[in-house]
Formats: sequence, structure tokens, C-alpha cells
Amino acid sequence: MNLTVTKSRLKGAQTGHSLLAKKRDALTTRFRQILKKVDEAKRLMGRVMQLASFSLAEVTYTAGDIAYQVQESVRKASYTVQARQENVSGVVLPAFEGVRSKDASDFNLTGLSRGGQQVQKSRDTYVKAVGTLVELASLQTAFTILDEVIRATNRRVNAIEHVVIPRLENTIKYINSELDEMDREEFFRLKKVQGKKKRDAERANESRMKENKEFEEGGKGQVGRDDGIGGGEAGGGDMLDQGKDEDVIF
Amino acid sequence: MEALGFNMDAGFLEGVVRGYKAALLTQGNYHSLTQCENLEDFRMQLSSTDYGNFLANEPLPLSTATIADKATEKLVSEFHYLRTNAVEPLATFMDYITYAYMIDNVILLTLGTLHERDTHELLERCHPLGVFDTMPALCVATNVEELYHSVLVETPLGSHAPMRSGPPHPARSASKWSQDGSRAPAIHLGLAYLHLADPAAPYFRDCLSAQDLDDLNIEIIRNALYKAYLEDFHSFCQTLPSPTNEVMSRILSFEADRRTLNITINSFGTELSKDQRARLFPTIGRLFPEGNNALARADDIDGVVASVDHIAEYKSFFDKAGATTGGTDNEGASSLEDEFFKHDVELNKQSFLQQFQYAVFYSFVKLKEQEVRNLTWIAECIAQDAKDRVNDYIPVF
Amino acid sequence: MAATTTNPKERTLLAVIGDEDSVTGLLLAGIGHIDQQQKKNFLIVDAKTQTSVIESAFEDYTERKDIAILLINQHVAERIRPTVDRYQAAFPAVLEIPSKEHPYGEYACGPLVPPSDISDPSKDSVLKRVQKLRGD
Repeated sequence: MNLTVTKSRLKGAQTGHSLLAKKRDALTTRFRQILKKVDEAKRLMGRVMQLASFSLAEVTYTAGDIAYQVQESVRKASYTVQARQENVSGVVLPAFEGVRSKDASDFNLTGLSRGGQQVQKSRDTYVKAVGTLVELASLQTAFTILDEVIRATNRRVNAIEHVVIPRLENTIKYINSELDEMDREEFFRLKKVQGKKKRDAERANESRMKENKEFEEGGKGQVGRDDGIGGGEAGGGDMLDQGKDEDVIF
Repeated sequence: MEALGFNMDAGFLEGVVRGYKAALLTQGNYHSLTQCENLEDFRMQLSSTDYGNFLANEPLPLSTATIADKATEKLVSEFHYLRTNAVEPLATFMDYITYAYMIDNVILLTLGTLHERDTHELLERCHPLGVFDTMPALCVATNVEELYHSVLVETPLGSHAPMRSGPPHPARSASKWSQDGSRAPAIHLGLAYLHLADPAAPYFRDCLSAQDLDDLNIEIIRNALYKAYLEDFHSFCQTLPSPTNEVMSRILSFEADRRTLNITINSFGTELSKDQRARLFPTIGRLFPEGNNALARADDIDGVVASVDHIAEYKSFFDKAGATTGGTDNEGASSLEDEFFKHDVELNKQSFLQQFQYAVFYSFVKLKEQEVRNLTWIAECIAQDAKDRVNDYIPVF
Repeated sequence: MAATTTNPKERTLLAVIGDEDSVTGLLLAGIGHIDQQQKKNFLIVDAKTQTSVIESAFEDYTERKDIAILLINQHVAERIRPTVDRYQAAFPAVLEIPSKEHPYGEYACGPLVPPSDISDPSKDSVLKRVQKLRGD
């Protein structure tokens, strides 16, 4: 009974192992793609941010220092992100998307008397830059999550490969060896029983012969031969020798 | 006749200011500055000019902000030297120059108070030319209403009024910015009446009330203040003897026109209504009144171009900037600003051609300011490795 | 995996810790937000800012439930590097960005800019992992 269960478990473990390995491969492919993109995007961002901060320098040139004004006019975010979800082999990867609300008109009056155009221009540049940043952030999040998931998957694959499967195999081997052991014991036991029976039979035979002899010698006439159950040399031997062994297997 | 008495009071200072002017960076200096590979070189190049080793004690790495700060500091110290030695009416004239910066500072402090920020750290951010003795007192104000009072009573912006020759402002209802009705008009009117008897604080009484001090309007208030300031300065200059009044009138008119044009162009596509816009236009300048009226109605850049058509110089700005074809093209508009700066520099240079007048002081400050801007720009370009834009500064000499 | 259990849909804001210019630019783009408790989602760091302030802001922003992305100037991140490196969660995503004074090396600077001025993109904790995984 146990052997069958364990065997099916081993089978399950093997299937699971190959499935997980496939998942790992899929994720890793994806991961490599993202890795490449993150690397590129990080470098691209350097350029974009530089352009953006230069446009801010233009603003400072014409409109003066607007930093404080900008900080103080902050009310509500007009640039927000929304998360979409993407499924890669059962792993949910979020992807951010920048959303700019329609009425994004803050800072419209900044630099009204001078530099207003530059302020608007710089704002547009920064909006684009933030777009790049958001993209990069979602790549990076995907990177972090995938990294974790891949590691978990790897752990599981390795666990199955190096722990679960060997353990099941060991169990099966153990059960098998136990069963073999039991088999041999049974055989030995039966042999013993047989040997004992034979000896008993011989002894009985002998004593009967002796009795018969004594009886005959005592002149009490011929003794009728009795081949009774197992009593005869051939009969008893036959009974135990008839390939009974095969039945022992269960 | 004026020339006779001029040197008694201001001859020394005029000499000094002309000396300062001679120390402004020349094309040659700028050229070698633009060749610098990094800010270290930049500092070296500057040390051979009148700036000397003004950056010598700055820790490395240099930032462009430090350069701008230090250069401004130099301008301020020169200005203060002139101011301390000045006598009336030059002293008042120079005070007027600082009022423009005070407006920015007061607006800054107002913003800070409005957001209940610690106004003391704001003092550091104020433009040093616009610092006035009682400014720290503004920081005591913890809410807008207190600030309103202290601005009205304490600041030079409020109290210089008796010096004025006459009220140049048409009687404007103090409540004009609160017409929305949603704001509490009662308190506001109370405040306005409180100060009506007070001859001081014309700028603020006209433009400001406690309820107006919110973010939306802060830019409008700034511009309204500036408009009042320009008009006031202009009328003050008219009381000064010729040729100061002529030269200053030319410069201030251009400043006013520039603001008018910029406000018009920048207000396209914003919530600023045409009515409000028209009220921000200074009532001086060559565009006033027909040009201003036309601009008030303008809906797009073409309308602006049409309304400046009769003034050849302004028209040429738009032609050069290519704004007529580009419409809302940002590139066009930004070089329009450059054209304005160039013309501004040109006018200020011209004021040095005439002797025995005060406009040189104003022009010196403006030219020096432009120079600081140029330095910052070049430093910025060097720091950010944008060599292709490095020549976009406006050379002074 | 705590990352997938929290719902990213509620996270809509960007937060930023950086120098004045970077923050101003980003605010100009409209990411600034002040909530009902007057809590801001940006912090301006200058030479005088205490490291502990940066650190607490970093922790605050990473714990807030409405922030999806936290932008931080690299030279600022450098000051609290252990904290940043320790941060592993996927939300909010921490993104290190170059700043005006410290642009990314290869593209941004002339050959004579002292190396201390250049932020090295490879210092970035995520990029570090990227590079490790790419084997270079």
C-alpha cells in the first residue's frame, strides 16, 4: 500500500520539478529582457534628466529663482501614476503609467512678466523626463519582483531536485528492502517449518517402525502399512515441495 | 544749469559708477570664459577680471549657485557703497531701484506666511538688494492679516509715499481683486478703510488685501505691485531735472512695454481673464494707451504682433524671433525674451553716453545684473556640458 | 512575497528626495502633493540637511501606502546608502536619479571634471545587482 502511494508521490514530484524548471526558464528569459532594458533606461535617464535640469537653468536665466514659488504652490499632484498588471507565468508584474490630469495648469502664472515661456517649456521637458522615470520605475519594480520570484522558484526547483525526489527515492528503496527482508524471513521460516515437519515425520516413522518391529517380534502378527497424512516418505515430502514458495509473494 | 550743481552732490559718485561700469566684463573676457573646461578654470579666468579672487574661499566643488550668489554679493556691496555716499535726491532715486527687489522679497515672505512656513529661513532667500531694515519684522507676522498690517505700516514700500509728487494712480477700488464674492468682503473692506486715511502704502492698498493672498493671485499681486512701482518710479523721475527724466523715461518705458508684452504672451491659455490682464499693464511706455488696449484684446501671438506694429523696434523683435510664423512655438518666444534683454542692455548702455544725470546708477545695476546672469549661464553651461548653448548670453560690452 | 499582496492600484503618487533643482523641476512637472495632514511628498536636501532627516523621510515615504515611486537623487542616496541597500520591497519602487551637480558619468561630463563630481551609475543599488547578474 505505502509503496504505491510513495511511488505516485515521486511521480508527482518529478512532474512538478519539470514544470517549475520551465517556469524558471520563462521567468529568466523575461528577466534577462528586463535586465537589458533597465540597464539601457538607466543610462537614457541620465541624459533626459540632464536636459531637463538644463531647461531649468534657462528658466533661472530669464525668470530668476522660482524654486520657492514652485515649492509653495504645490497643492495636489497633477501628475500621478496608475498601475497596470501584467502576468508572466503566474507572476503579477505591475507596470506604472504616468497620468497627467487634464487641468494641469498650475504654475501657469509663474514668470508672468518674464520667463513664462521658459517655465512652460521647462515644465514640458520635466513632464517628459518624469515619463521616462516612471517607465524606468516600472521596469525596476518588475526587476525586483522577478528577481525575488525567480529566486523562490529556483529554491523550489532545487529543493525538489535535491531533497524531495531523493527522499522519496530513499523511501521507496527502504520499503523495497524491507519487503525483500520480509520475503526472505518468510521463506526461511517456511523452510524451517518444513525441516521440522520432516524431522518429526521421520521420528514418528522410526518409532512406528520400532513399535512395529517390536510388535512383530513380539509375534503379534503383521502390521498394516499406513501412509497416513505426511506419514509416507514420498507423500510428506511432496506436500511441502510443491513449489509453494510462489504464493508467498504478496 | 543743472550741470553746474550736479558735481557738487553727485560728481564723485558718478565717477565711481563709471569706474564700476568700466570694470564690467568685456567680450574678450566672456570669450575666454566660454572656453573653460570646468568651473575651476572658470574661477581662474574670473580672477584676472575685476572680480578678483571672489571665489577663492569657496570649498570645492564649486556650484553654479555659489558663483551666482557671490557675484550678486559683489553687485550689492558696490551698490551699497554708492547708496551710503548718496545725498538727496540721488538717495531716493537709488532707493527706488531697490523697491523692485523689495517687491519680490515681500511676495516671497507673503508666500511663506501664507503656508505657515518659518519665515526666518526665507530671509536668506530674499534678494539682498531688496532687504530693508524692518524686513525681519515681517517674520514676526504669523498670519496673513498681521503681515498685511506690518507690510502696510512698516515697510519702505508702504512708507515712502509722502515723497511722491502726486498720486499717479487712478482711484482703484481696493476690492477689485476680490470681486469673486466668495471671499469675505467685509473684513477686506474693513482693512481697506482702515488704511484709507493713511497716505502711506499706496502699492499695497491698491493691490492687496488679506483675502487676496492666496496662491492663484500671488503672481497677479506681484505684477500689480510692479506696475504700481513702475508708474510711481516713472513719475518720480519726471520730477528730477533733465536729462535724468528723459533717459529714465526711455528705460522705464521699455521696461513697462516689455512687461506688458510678456504678460500678454504668457497669459495665453491660462485662467487669467482679459480684464485682469489689462489691469496689470503699466500705464506708461510707448505702447500706452492704444497699444495696451490692443494687447488687452489680443487672443494670440498674431494679435500681439499686430498691436505693436506701429513701433518699429518692437516689431523687429518679433521678426527676429520669428514668432509671427511660429505662433506658439517655444523657441521663438524664448528668443523674443533674448531680444528684450538685448534691447534692455542697449538702452542701459546708451544712458552712459550722457553726463550729469542719475540714470547711470540705474543702468549700472541693470547691466551688472545682466552680467551676473551671463556668468551664471556660462557656468551652468560648463557644469552641464552644454557647450552648444554657451554663447547664448547677452554680451554687455 | 509581500510585494504582490499589497494592492499597487492605490499607489498613485511619486515622491522625491533631492536637491533643490531636481525637486523644483519635478514639482514643475506636477508631481507635488500635499495631503490633508499637510504632509508633503517631497524633501529638499542641501549640504546642511541632517542625514537623520533624510533617513526618516526615506523611511516615511517607503512606508506610505499612496506612493508608487520614490525618486531620490543619487548623491543623496549615497548618504544613506545602507538604508537604501537594505530596502528590498517592490513597492514603492525606489529609483535613484542623477542630479544637476552630479550627472551620470559617461555622458555628462567633460574629461577634466574631477571624478568626485560624477555620480557613478554603478553605485546605484539596483544597477549594482543588474551588473552583477549580467556578469560584468
